[in-house]
Amino acid sequence: MDVLEYQAKEWFREMGIPVLPSQRIDRPSDIKRLKIPYPVVLKSQVRVGGRGRAGGVRFVTNTIDAIAAAQTIFHLSILGELPEVLLAEAKYDADQEFYLAVVLDAAAHRPLLLGSVQGGIDVESAPELLQQVVVEQEFSPFYARRLTIKMGLQGPLIQTVSGIIEKMYQLFVQKDLDLVEINPLGVSSTGELMALDGKVTVNDRAIARHPDVAAMAEKMAQREKGRKYSLELGTWDEVEPSGNIAVLGNGAGLVMATMDLLTDAGSQPASCLNIGHGRSWNSTTPSFKDRLQQGLEFLSEQKNIQVVLVNILGTVPTPIELAQVIVSFVQRRERMTTNKSRTQTYSPRVIVRFAGADFDSAKEQLATVQVPLVNSLDEAIAQASRLAKSSGRRR
Amino acid sequence: MKLTPESKVVIQGYCEPLMATHAARMKVYGTNVIAAISPGQSGETFDEIPVFDLVEQAVAEFGVIDTTIILVSPYQALDAALEAIAAGIRQIIIIPAGVPPLDMVHLLRKAEATETLVVGPNSPGIIVPGKILLGTHASEFYTPGSVGIVSRSSTLTYEIASELTKAGLGQSIGVSIGSDAITGSSFLQWLQILDEDDSTQAIVLVGETGGNSEETAARYIAETIDKPVIAYIAGRNAPPGKHWGHTGTLAAVVGRGVNIGTTQSKLTAFKEAKVPVADRPSQISSLVKKALK
Repeated sequence: MDVLEYQAKEWFREMGIPVLPSQRIDRPSDIKRLKIPYPVVLKSQVRVGGRGRAGGVRFVTNTIDAIAAAQTIFHLSILGELPEVLLAEAKYDADQEFYLAVVLDAAAHRPLLLGSVQGGIDVESAPELLQQVVVEQEFSPFYARRLTIKMGLQGPLIQTVSGIIEKMYQLFVQKDLDLVEINPLGVSSTGELMALDGKVTVNDRAIARHPDVAAMAEKMAQREKGRKYSLELGTWDEVEPSGNIAVLGNGAGLVMATMDLLTDAGSQPASCLNIGHGRSWNSTTPSFKDRLQQGLEFLSEQKNIQVVLVNILGTVPTPIELAQVIVSFVQRRERMTTNKSRTQTYSPRVIVRFAGADFDSAKEQLATVQVPLVNSLDEAIAQASRLAKSSGRRR
Repeated sequence: MKLTPESKVVIQGYCEPLMATHAARMKVYGTNVIAAISPGQSGETFDEIPVFDLVEQAVAEFGVIDTTIILVSPYQALDAALEAIAAGIRQIIIIPAGVPPLDMVHLLRKAEATETLVVGPNSPGIIVPGKILLGTHASEFYTPGSVGIVSRSSTLTYEIASELTKAGLGQSIGVSIGSDAITGSSFLQWLQILDEDDSTQAIVLVGETGGNSEETAARYIAETIDKPVIAYIAGRNAPPGKHWGHTGTLAAVVGRGVNIGTTQSKLTAFKEAKVPVADRPSQISSLVKKALK
């Protein structure tokens, strides 16, 4: 989960990382109660990058200009994202701008310290200046000093910049982050340091063990409701909105393999849903059968989906139990279709692929609702593809 | 690696929901499950498996234990693994999904210092068909033979085992290193183990889009592996950044190049390493047969 700049800076402040005096702006009229002296920078609080170039950052010198600028920024969509809040911040004249980050590196299996003396928007244009240090063992400040030396820092900056990195690392561990980045870190002519912009990504798995972060995540989820799928029920993602077939499977690898095969067969998968495995660690997680049932309902709500290919491997629960879920789903959709007009309720065709014990009795059950059960993956793909193509023509 | 039916196995977190099923399956498959660890339930037995409060109590009773299967909730996994290491266990299999990666970093520092092999998290563990089941693999898809499968997935591994079985190719081992960004063991470690394993004649490597472990594996195969390796990559047609819950994509940070983690980069790496890549799971068996000729 990416937190917004103003939230990141609140955390920086708590850790003792220097940040400018700033104020959160919820609506343009808040500008009248600004406690920071002009000139002020107004910054759109969006998660996407490139807001400066898009016009989401403005310098203002008086209240009238500030209110007008705030109104503009509130209505400025940056890569499809409108800000909920703005951040008003004192202006800062940096002599130099550095780049600092702590990131979890999958290749090294360790956190990585990153630093460059060329920060700001230029950091990626000078990759040769980007230095890194792997935090091999328990963190100790020498790792931070090692980075500053690699960056080519000298004199007092070695200690002061190391101090910032150390605090970033503490925040990284304390909040279970995937990334904490300060870019730029402003360096004044007197050597004073200031975190001018910050990016913080919290690891999704760890959110639940930090009550403050969990509260933030919940707020964010409320704003984004609609297209989002409840994490407890599985992982859903769109592939191609113009497609007409959906994949529902247990396990990410299997779902991706199924999607690849459909595409190779000339079909266009619209979306994929991974309902996860039979194994479950707490009783509040919906059962596998519930996840299957709700997954089918969820995919049926999407009007573009005409065929659902269910691909489930493994034996918890048994194919018989899964067949029952699918039979009752089909019957319920049929009842809905007869009760309402056909245009209101639309039911996708379902093709099921299981492998394992009880295959024949599961097949008999599904046959009662005209749902084919296939044993081989290649055959399931062929059938689903044919059905998707003929449904596509009917549309 | 000690993976014989005689090797002693404990299960940590026996009483978690669903786990009774898996423990029973492991026992039925022939795994020597000698104890379960569940704090507060010592003295009880499940399926004739005695329960202890602490791992070290089981060690005091039965002597050195080879492997622990960790079936606790994800936030308890680090603690369970540290307890196992402290009790002298050197093979740890972590089944649950959702272990925070920084917990894994912490664990790996300890594991490396003690030369402990960690498999997982987010993994069904290891199966040696016909011999031993260490984890939650659906054993019905496997049959004994000489093809070693190393994978990041669970159900996709069953898919591939099932295709090999149908084609008359049994498996020497099925191991999933887990699909998280930070996993205990890597493709490299397993390629090395399987290269030295006498019962393995060919290796099937099952990768996914995201991360860079396949690229690293491809270079390693070209340099050091003598046995034939066949690769398969899932997610070729997945839109960038979409991985349905697998998070092996973290390596995409500044300074690593824009192409990192894409299927294209993996396919290129395997091509350079002269490793045949199957287009679909059902094609793997014919590529293995060809390589073994």
